[in-house]
Amino acid sequence: MVKRIKVGMASCGIAAGAGEVKDKILEMNPDAEVVEVGCIGHCHAEPLVEIETEEGSYLYQEVEPEVEFIDKILNLEDYSRFVSPANRESKEKLYVTELAGKINPVSIEEYEDNGGYFALKKALEMEPDQIVEEVKTSGLRGRGGGGFPTGLKWSFLAGKDDKDKVLICNADEGDPGAFMDRSTMESLPHQLLEGMLIGAYATGANRMFIYCRAEYPLAVKNLNIAIKQLEEAGYNYINGADIKITVKEGAGAFVCGEETALIHSLEGKRGTPRFRPPYPTDYGYKGRPSMINNVETLANIPLIIRDGGEKYSQIGTENSTGTKLFALAGDLEYSGLVEVPMGITIGEVVYDIGGAEDGTVKAVQIGGPSGGCIPEEHFDTPIDYDSLTELGAIMGSGGLIVISKGRCMVETARYFLEFTTKESCGKCTFCRIGTKRMLETLERITGGEGSHEDVQLLGELGKKIIKGSLCGLGQTAPKPVLSTLNFFENEYLAHVDEGYCAAMECKALVDVYLDQETCIECGQCIKVCPVDAISDDFVVDNGICTRCNSCIEVCPVDAISRVKREEE
Amino acid sequence: MSEITITIDGQELSAKPGQTVLEVAKENKIDIPTLCHDNRVGINTSCFVCVVKDENTGNWLPSCSNPVQDGMNITASGHEADDMRQTALNLLLSEHSGDCEAPCTISCPAHAKVEEYVRAGREGDHWLALDIIKQRIPLPISIGRVCPRFCEKDCRRNVKEDAVAINDFKRLAADLHYDEYMEDMEELTDKKVAIIGAGPAGLATAYFLRIEGIGSVLFDRLPEPGGMLRYGIPEYRLPKDLLDKEIDHFNKMGGIEFKCNQKLGTDIELFDLKEEYDAVVVAVGSWKSSSMRTEGEELAYNGIEYLEDIAHDGWQAKRDPGETLVVGGGNTAMDCVRTSLRLTDEKVSCLYRRTEKEMPAEQIEIDEAREEGCDFQFLTQPISLREKDNGRLVLECIKMELGEPDASGRRRPIPIEGSEFEVEADTVIAAIGQKTIAPEGVPTNQWGDVDVNENNCQADESIFAAGDCVSGPATVVEAVAGGRRAALGIKAYLAGEEYNPEYQINVSRGYWQSLNEDELVYLKEPEDKERVEQSLIELSERISTFKEVSYTFTEEEIVQEGKRCFECSCTAKTDCKLKEHSEDFGADPEYFKENVKLDHSYNIEHPQIIMDPGKCIKCGICIKICNEVVNEYLLGFKNRGYETKIGTAFGEPLPVNCEECGECIEACPVGALDWKIKKLEEMQ
Repeated sequence: MVKRIKVGMASCGIAAGAGEVKDKILEMNPDAEVVEVGCIGHCHAEPLVEIETEEGSYLYQEVEPEVEFIDKILNLEDYSRFVSPANRESKEKLYVTELAGKINPVSIEEYEDNGGYFALKKALEMEPDQIVEEVKTSGLRGRGGGGFPTGLKWSFLAGKDDKDKVLICNADEGDPGAFMDRSTMESLPHQLLEGMLIGAYATGANRMFIYCRAEYPLAVKNLNIAIKQLEEAGYNYINGADIKITVKEGAGAFVCGEETALIHSLEGKRGTPRFRPPYPTDYGYKGRPSMINNVETLANIPLIIRDGGEKYSQIGTENSTGTKLFALAGDLEYSGLVEVPMGITIGEVVYDIGGAEDGTVKAVQIGGPSGGCIPEEHFDTPIDYDSLTELGAIMGSGGLIVISKGRCMVETARYFLEFTTKESCGKCTFCRIGTKRMLETLERITGGEGSHEDVQLLGELGKKIIKGSLCGLGQTAPKPVLSTLNFFENEYLAHVDEGYCAAMECKALVDVYLDQETCIECGQCIKVCPVDAISDDFVVDNGICTRCNSCIEVCPVDAISRVKREEE
Repeated sequence: MSEITITIDGQELSAKPGQTVLEVAKENKIDIPTLCHDNRVGINTSCFVCVVKDENTGNWLPSCSNPVQDGMNITASGHEADDMRQTALNLLLSEHSGDCEAPCTISCPAHAKVEEYVRAGREGDHWLALDIIKQRIPLPISIGRVCPRFCEKDCRRNVKEDAVAINDFKRLAADLHYDEYMEDMEELTDKKVAIIGAGPAGLATAYFLRIEGIGSVLFDRLPEPGGMLRYGIPEYRLPKDLLDKEIDHFNKMGGIEFKCNQKLGTDIELFDLKEEYDAVVVAVGSWKSSSMRTEGEELAYNGIEYLEDIAHDGWQAKRDPGETLVVGGGNTAMDCVRTSLRLTDEKVSCLYRRTEKEMPAEQIEIDEAREEGCDFQFLTQPISLREKDNGRLVLECIKMELGEPDASGRRRPIPIEGSEFEVEADTVIAAIGQKTIAPEGVPTNQWGDVDVNENNCQADESIFAAGDCVSGPATVVEAVAGGRRAALGIKAYLAGEEYNPEYQINVSRGYWQSLNEDELVYLKEPEDKERVEQSLIELSERISTFKEVSYTFTEEEIVQEGKRCFECSCTAKTDCKLKEHSEDFGADPEYFKENVKLDHSYNIEHPQIIMDPGKCIKCGICIKICNEVVNEYLLGFKNRGYETKIGTAFGEPLPVNCEECGECIEACPVGALDWKIKKLEEMQ
C-alpha cells in the first residue's frame, strides 16, 4: 500500500525533468500523497522518485513522465530501481543532510516531526556562553573555505557589549560547479535557520541576514517560506525580542562571498573588500559588530546542540571534526552531492563514492578556483583542512572535480584562472592586472605560443599576487596555476618546448587525423563537419578544421582522432 | 592610550595606536612609496606599491592600511620589497595607456623638449623657445636648417594631414635671438679637455662641458671650425655667414678655444693630448669615401671631397664641371647634384641602383633636386669608368631589377644580364657612403668606428668619442646628442664617478602609423589645418647662385603652424607618481609582452578638465575625495575585473563648476583627471 510519493525537486531534479514527472503523477491521480522533497544527492540518476509504503521505501531513478513508466513504479515493479553504487553507503555519512530529500523542505511540521527545532529549544534553556563553549568543544571549523574555528568566531561576537549585533549567513556560493549550499538551502531551509537562531541567541545578535546569490531562486523562495513559518511559530523570539531575518539577494559578483565585500554589498555599496582589521566582529554591517558564517557551518549547529559538542567532535579527525559536503563532478561515474566524514581519503571519495574507473584519473581539483589540484599519487591523503593545505590545495567550500588523464592541466588551470580574472573586483593592482597577465600567458601556452620565460613568469607572478592581494580572491586566484605547475610542470614544458599537449586538448597544438586503414567510408564525418574540412576521399584539411570534434564523435569505427600537430 | 613600539627597517619607533605603518614611517622620515594614499580620506588599499613585510608573520601588508601593533617588525626596504614594488608598478604600467612624452620629443635624437618649444613659439615667446631648444641643441641655426626632422616623422598630426613644421620653430627662434642669448654656466674650473674635431659633435661636447664649468680646446685639421657643417653641407642649405655667427657664440662663452689647421698625427698626437689634458674627445667624423668598386673609379671625384673643394673655393662657380654624373642615392649625392646644378648649365644626372622609394636621401632633397633639373636614372649601376681621348669620361652601366628584401629591409637590386650601356660625362662623382678613419690607439668595432660605452661615450680611460666616428655617418642632431653624452660622461669621469644616465620610462600609445584618427587623444578638438608651406627663393636664382634656398618662417606663420600641434604629451608628466616611482624602482612599460590595454574613451567636453581613463590606475582616490572631502558624488567605479574603470554617471562630462574645485585633479596620482591647459611657465 503506497503511503507517500516523494519527488526530488531541488534545482537539480527540476533541471532533469522532475517537474514534468510530478505533474504526470498528479495527473494519474494516485491514492497516495505526492510530496516535493529536496535533494536526494544522486544527481547522475535524476529525476528520482521515492515510493513510501507501509513495508518500506523504494527509490526509482531516471523516471520518465510517461504513464506506462509511472504505472510500473506505482506498482512497485522492479524497474529502474535506484541501486546505490557499491561502496557509497558505507563511505558516506549523512549527518547534516540526513533529512535532505526525505522531508518537504517548506513544511515546518515535517521538520518538527523529524526533530526540527528541538536543538533551538534545548539551546534556549542553556546559557549563551555555554552554547559558545559547546560549539568550541565540537571543533567545528568554517565550511566556507577558510576553516576558522566557529566557536572562536562566535565568542568574538558574544564578547561585544554593543546593543546591536548582526549575524549574517554567507550563502553567496560562487565556485563553479559547487552546489552544497544551494542544496542545503533548498532542501533544509529550516535547519539552516535553526542554526542561525541558535547563533543569535548565543552571540546576542539581534538582526539576521542571509546573503544568497540571486541565481538560486528556489533557495530564496524556500528560505522566505521557512522564515514566515518560523516567525508564525514564534521561533524568532530570542533574547526578549523578535529577530528580523532578511534574505538579501546578491547581484552576481563572486567576490561578494568575501565577508567585507559581502557587508559592503549588503549596505548597498559596490561589492569590494576592504582591509582587515578591523574585522567584521569589531566593525561590520553599518558599523555594528557582525559575524558571517557559511550555510553549511550554520546547518551543523542544530546537530552540535542536539548531540553535544563532545559527541560531534568524535566524527572526523582531531583537527577537522564533523562531516563535509562535496559537490562531486568531473570525469567520474556518479556525480552529485555527497556528505563524508572528515578524514576520508581523496581516493575513497573519487573511486568508492564517485565510481571513477581505476587508472583513468590524473588528479582532483579541490576548492574550486581558489583551490589547487592534487595528483593521483596523493589520493591516500585524508580530507582535512591541514592535509589539503599542505598539498597546496584548500578544503574550500566543497567543490571536488575529478580530472581524468584525458585532460590537459594547463587548460584546467587556464579555465579556473579565467574565472577569477573575470571575478576580480578590480580594486587591487596585483589581482586586477596580475591575474589578467597570467591568463594571457596561459593562453599563449595553450595557444602554442608560449616560452620557458612564460612558464617562469607564471610561477613568479603567481606567488607575488598571493602576497600582494587584499582579499581571499586574489590571495588564492593563482593557486590552480601554481599547484598544476608544482605537480605537472612537465605538461607546461611539453607545451612550450615540443608544442605537445599530451591530452590533445589544446586546439592549437593538435591536428585531426583520419586513419584510412580503419575508415569504412560511411561518410558520416563528411556530413557532420560544419566547415567542410573533410574531403570526399576522406582526408582532413587541418587548415580549415576547427577541432570541434563532431567527426570524432560520429565516427562508428573510431577512425578519427586528435594527434600532435605537424610542424609547418 | 599608551604608546606602542614597532620596528621598521631595524629602527625602533614609538607609535600611537590606530596609526598606520605608513603614517609612522612618514613621521620618522622613512620613505615608503605610494600612489593611492591621501591623508584626507579613509584608507583606500589599491595600488599595493606601499607593501611592506611583517617579519613576525611573513605576510606582506599594504602599509597605508595596516594599523600598527605593539611588537611589529616591519621591513620596508631592501631587495624583496623593491621587487614587489617593481612588479606592482610593472603591472600598473601594463594597463596604462597614454603618452608620457610626445612622440616628437622621444624621436628627437637629442630629446629636445619639442612640444614645449613649439608651444612657446606659438605663444610668441621665441626667447623661451630658444632657451628650451638650447638645453639640448647648441647649434639651432644649423640644425634648424639641415635637420632631417626625426620629430616630424613621428608627429601625430601625420594622421590627419602632415606633420607640424617643427624644425622651423628652431630656425626662427635662433634667427631672432641667437645673438643676444647667453646661457647660464657654471664657473670655469681648472679642468681642460682636448677635443679633436670641431664639427657638430666636437662643438656640442665643448658646449655642454662649458655649461658644466669645464673648458676645452677644439683641434681641427681644416682651416676653420664647423666640420661637415662648413665643408660638407652646401652653402645653399646652410649659409656660412650664419655658421660663423653660430660658432662665434662659442668664443663668447669663454673657456672654449679653437686651434685649426692641426692635423692629428702630423701637428698633434693623441698620446700628447692625453698627457696634457684631463680628457680627450675623439670627434673626427667619417670623412673617408666608400669605394664604388668599379674599374677606373680613380677617375671619379669622391662626393665629400668634391664638396670640400668647392667649400674651399667659397661656394662660387670657380669652375664648370660640365655634364655631370653623380652615383649614389643619399643626402651627400643630393648635395653633389644640387651643387653641380649651380655650377653648370650642362645636364646633371643622378644614377641610383634601386628606385626612388629606396633612396636614403630625404624626400625634400630629392624633390628639390628634381625641381632644379636633376635627371634621375634609377635601377642603374656603374660597372666601369674610362677616359676618352678628348678627356670626356665614359661610364659603363648595367640596368637592375629589384629582388627580395635584404638585411636592411630594402629590396636587393639584381643586374639584368645583357642590359649594359654607356653614358658619357665630363665629371663623375661617386657619393655612395663614407667611413670612419679612427685615430691610432683608440678601440674600434667591426665597422671601423670608435668603440665606446654607450652611456658615457668613454672609449678608453680618459679618451671619449662622439659623433659620426662613433655612429658611422649620421646627422648633425645625432652628433649633438652624442656630444652631450660625452660631456656628461667626462664630467662624471673627472669627478671620479661613473656616469649612468637617469633611468627614464616612456609610455606610448604607439606610432601614428598604427593609429586611426579616432584613436588620437587631444586636449581640444583640432581644426583641419594644412601645414604652412615653406617659402623658397625663385627657381632661377636657385640654380644660378648658392643663396639659401628657403626662407625662415615669419612669426605669424609660426603662430599658425603652432596651432596644429596636438600637444600629445601627458598633462601630468611632471607630477605623475606612476612615472616617478616606476623610474625609482626600475619598472618597465614593456615588461609584459603582448598585453591587452583596454580602450577607454576620453572626455574633453568640460572646458577646463580632461578625463582620460586609459591612464587611470583605478585607485579610486578621486571618488573618495569627491565624496568625503567635497561632499559630491560625481565619480564612481564601473565594471569589474580588468575592465574596471572610473567615470561619471552615464559618461556625462563633469559639471562646469568643477573647475572651481579641482580636488580630484590634485589627488589623481597620474593624468587620468587633469587640467587641459598646459601653462608656458610650467614647461622648463
